[in-house]
Amino acid sequence: MILIGENIHILSKVVSEAIKARNEKPLQELAVKQAEAGADYIDLNIGPARKDPDVMKWLVEVIQDVVKKPLSLDTTNPVAMEAGLSVCKIPPLINSASGKQESKEKMLPLAQKYNCDVVVSVLIDAGIPSDSSSRAEAIMETVAYANEIGIPNERIWVDPIMMPISVDQPQVVELLEFMKILPDICPGAKSTLGLSNLSNGTPEHLRGILNRTFLVMLERYNCFSAIVDSFDQELVTLMRGGLQDIKNLIYRAMDEEIDPSDLPKKEADIVKTVNVLMGRTLYSHSWLET
Amino acid sequence: MQVSDFFEPYKGDIKEVTIGTPGKSIKIGGEKTLPLHTFEGQEGAPVRFALEVFDTPPEVWPDHLRSPYVDVLSDPIAWANKCIKQYGADLVSLFLSSLDSDSADVSKIAENVKKVADQIPSPLIVMGVGDKDKDAKALVEIAKVCSGKNLLLGPLVKENYEEIAKAAMEGGHSVIPLTPLDINLCKELNVKLTKFFPKERIVIDPMAAAVGYGIDYSFSIMERVKQVGVIHNDEMMKMPIVANIGKDCWKTKEAKEDKSQGILWEAMTAFILILAGANIVIMRHPESLKLIKKLIA
Repeated sequence: MILIGENIHILSKVVSEAIKARNEKPLQELAVKQAEAGADYIDLNIGPARKDPDVMKWLVEVIQDVVKKPLSLDTTNPVAMEAGLSVCKIPPLINSASGKQESKEKMLPLAQKYNCDVVVSVLIDAGIPSDSSSRAEAIMETVAYANEIGIPNERIWVDPIMMPISVDQPQVVELLEFMKILPDICPGAKSTLGLSNLSNGTPEHLRGILNRTFLVMLERYNCFSAIVDSFDQELVTLMRGGLQDIKNLIYRAMDEEIDPSDLPKKEADIVKTVNVLMGRTLYSHSWLET
Repeated sequence: MQVSDFFEPYKGDIKEVTIGTPGKSIKIGGEKTLPLHTFEGQEGAPVRFALEVFDTPPEVWPDHLRSPYVDVLSDPIAWANKCIKQYGADLVSLFLSSLDSDSADVSKIAENVKKVADQIPSPLIVMGVGDKDKDAKALVEIAKVCSGKNLLLGPLVKENYEEIAKAAMEGGHSVIPLTPLDINLCKELNVKLTKFFPKERIVIDPMAAAVGYGIDYSFSIMERVKQVGVIHNDEMMKMPIVANIGKDCWKTKEAKEDKSQGILWEAMTAFILILAGANIVIMRHPESLKLIKKLIA
């Protein structure tokens, strides 16, 4: 599993202040720490950057000064994207394009021009598709368009768009279904998603178990990569081949319904979490307490 | 092959909640099937209908809603008795409109609730005004003063459920937790509540909306609550459901401007939410009550 570190994100106060003041140090520290923690890519999320598209160029330069990892340039603004792409020393990842008309016209061609990989989400002009088959329909159209302009499936990382479980639990189940069928509908394409969004709105201390459990489930369906919290050590360990017992329990809980009441707390929590993620039990913030 | 081969065997059963005192109690819920799917599983108690009574004369009601009650508007006991004896309601929902006044005296309000409870031949629902602090104060006092009357008290929200439910527990009452059209929050409140409160004394309000004013949301949530309880056997979602529709129906422009429109509006809202899974419906106009009863008879 390729891990893309999410911790340089414009919604973080430290990051937004540092970017605003062009203060490189906290940003470089975050990048180095993520690389040390095991991130394969460093995501640079600057938001839409409407007023200041050149900020991506500055950010790419200060980050690649201190880490030798590929970067994931994260903005919906094609001008900012190109400013960043023009100075990358290692081929980066464009994060992201979508099936929206404007994105197809302005963002996708950048992947062709700079010969790099590109995240393509299932988003279309009509919005986020609501089930696995409409996700499939949306992505097939966008991928066909990308192929036409010379981007092969192998350079496309499909993003099915992760929704918070506290907002729309059925969507989590649909996403898992979509991951299963993705190799058939886009052969050779890679995949990625913003994992932490799963637990957006969930009480802070419970986010980890939800994120980690789901990532193991996704990995089982050949999910190629995920944008994750680099500082979740247990998550990184799981994705680097560790904690096989936990993984086996998650697989078993996916395949059969296990009664959690017979298990020790830690294992029972995992089984309950799988049940919520598979849509077998209705989610509530207290899913571990019932 | 028979038709019954296609029937679904359901795993979960809705809790049976009893409210009121011996001799004048009623049961709510208790079914082991989806709404009106009596051919598939054990039928529960019939849908119960409550008419709403205010503890101060309502000021903003249109004339065509006031007229059936015009002789009793300032006497909640007479009003409640009229609802049951003359208009055929199964029970009464007493709305504590007096709480809106800043000088509201909760011990006096509680005494009045007790008088109503004592002098009607049916169980009593008591509903606060939706202000978490005022409701908590009043409902706690009512729970004490009316101890043993097995009232159905609501609404309990996430900010005040603990104190109200504690008092309800001591006074031997049942409660209505209310969540704003969100099934996950509905379950969350039930999980917290049932840590100390018996499941058999809970009726949930997933929030009702009127036809044309968001009923599709109410319908989906109520339908899912019932499905999660009956089909998926989720212990936290097996409580019967109340649809409190009077206020929202009579707030609509359509209901206010015309009597027959208002009656249809309320009856249709009730009908739709019964299809979604409501076990009790709280309404306002006796003629819409008559209409809906005829419709589902």
